[in-house]
Amino acid sequence: METPGGEQETLEVVVVQGLVRSYGPKVILNNLHLRIRKGEFVALLGESGCGKTTLLRVLAGLDSIQGGTIHTPGAPAVVFQEHRLLPWENLWRNVSLGLHCGRAKEKAAKALEEVGLGDRLDDWPRNLSGGQAQRVAIARALVQEPKLLLLDEPFASLDALTRIKMHKLLLSLIAAHKPGVLLVTHDVLEAIVLADRILIMRDGGIVKEYVVKDYADKRTVQADLFEALGFAGGDSPY
Amino acid sequence: MKKFVFSTPMGEKKLFLLSWASPVMIVLLWEVYCRFGLIGPEILPPPSKVLLAAITLAESGALLPDLGISLKRAATGWCIGAGTGFLLGLAVGFSSIARAVLDRSIQMLRAVPFLALLPLVIVWFGVGEGQKIFLVALGVSFPVYINTTLGIRQLDPKLLEMGSTQRLTTYETIRRIIFPGALPSILMGVRYSLATAWLALVIAETIGASAGIGFLALDAREFLQTDVIVLTIVIYAVIGVCADAAARFLERRLLAWHPNYSPKR
Repeated sequence: METPGGEQETLEVVVVQGLVRSYGPKVILNNLHLRIRKGEFVALLGESGCGKTTLLRVLAGLDSIQGGTIHTPGAPAVVFQEHRLLPWENLWRNVSLGLHCGRAKEKAAKALEEVGLGDRLDDWPRNLSGGQAQRVAIARALVQEPKLLLLDEPFASLDALTRIKMHKLLLSLIAAHKPGVLLVTHDVLEAIVLADRILIMRDGGIVKEYVVKDYADKRTVQADLFEALGFAGGDSPY
Repeated sequence: MKKFVFSTPMGEKKLFLLSWASPVMIVLLWEVYCRFGLIGPEILPPPSKVLLAAITLAESGALLPDLGISLKRAATGWCIGAGTGFLLGLAVGFSSIARAVLDRSIQMLRAVPFLALLPLVIVWFGVGEGQKIFLVALGVSFPVYINTTLGIRQLDPKLLEMGSTQRLTTYETIRRIIFPGALPSILMGVRYSLATAWLALVIAETIGASAGIGFLALDAREFLQTDVIVLTIVIYAVIGVCADAAARFLERRLLAWHPNYSPKR
């Protein structure tokens, strides 16, 4: 790299080099390299079992690694596919979970306000719809002011219309907080709408990379992505 | 979640009245049968006579101290037993080492009906207070222990993962995720343990007591006072029902977040 090391660290929220994770004889992540710049939105696409969720879990510190290095400034925040709210705590207490400073309620209230649930501070998770619960989970992640936000198929269990609303909300939240984002998804269109850069994973490594703004027409990137995922030519119904 | 309810032509209130009608009818029938001499007084006294016995005993000042002594035994034994069961349950739930060391032995002990230990307990403690409190504590500790470990083991590991990504300290993880998550099961253990506490107390008091409800029953047996015997049975029942109601109240208060315990919305 031509830039000096010190400057690099401030510009990048993740530097992963030669990452290896294996489970018994099965190699899940194989010599994987990844860099995410500050404020960059990166989406990971790939077939089930290609290791994309494992990569996210490794970055979140939930899975151990057998080789390679990971550099991240501070701990990342995570939004999972399920909301994982504590059913026995009201919304603001759920959002403030892990805030170790004073004014926790104030911060939680502000975060809930941002996701459009400012009037539900004392409500219980069981009174929420799927989309609302996932908004609380996003608030809980963002209130940590993370430099890196990890999203593990966060909208996969929502209906199509709710998903569109969530995409819009997420884009405005990202614009306001500017964390680096790594999104794991199955949804090609979701990746195109949200991400700056889309990575294709196969057999535990990153095999291709697409920068969305390089394409004047988003349909072209879509066609390229479908081809990379194994739908050649007219195979995709989209 | 939608609650499944059998359709019924009657309202809640009517059903509630109906649920009380049958016990009231049984007591009335009992009274009538006794009055007409269909049941001899040496077999079963009429309810009115039991009530009278309660009033006479209370007025003579014999009932309340005995009741107090029984309650104190149960409370002391319960606190010791539930405390031990809870602490052991926490240790085994949290630490795999503690589980390896303790769990098998405790499970083996649990297979012994605790009342079978009674002769041994009498040898150890004599027939004094120690024997009674020990027996209650022993009976109480198992349900609390088992439900505490179960509650901790049944926790959703996904919530623990979430806690670690939110960078919770160990103390925060226990206080905000593990303990509240295990609470429904722990309270279930508390409810079971209250029932065992009474069972243990009845048995313990029936053997060589010089005070307490059990002693009252024993004493009455000597003089064939069936009304007092029935009275003691009724008192055990009432206290049991009260203890269960207290446990339910705790459940409703502490588990208000839980869809199975919350009041109807």
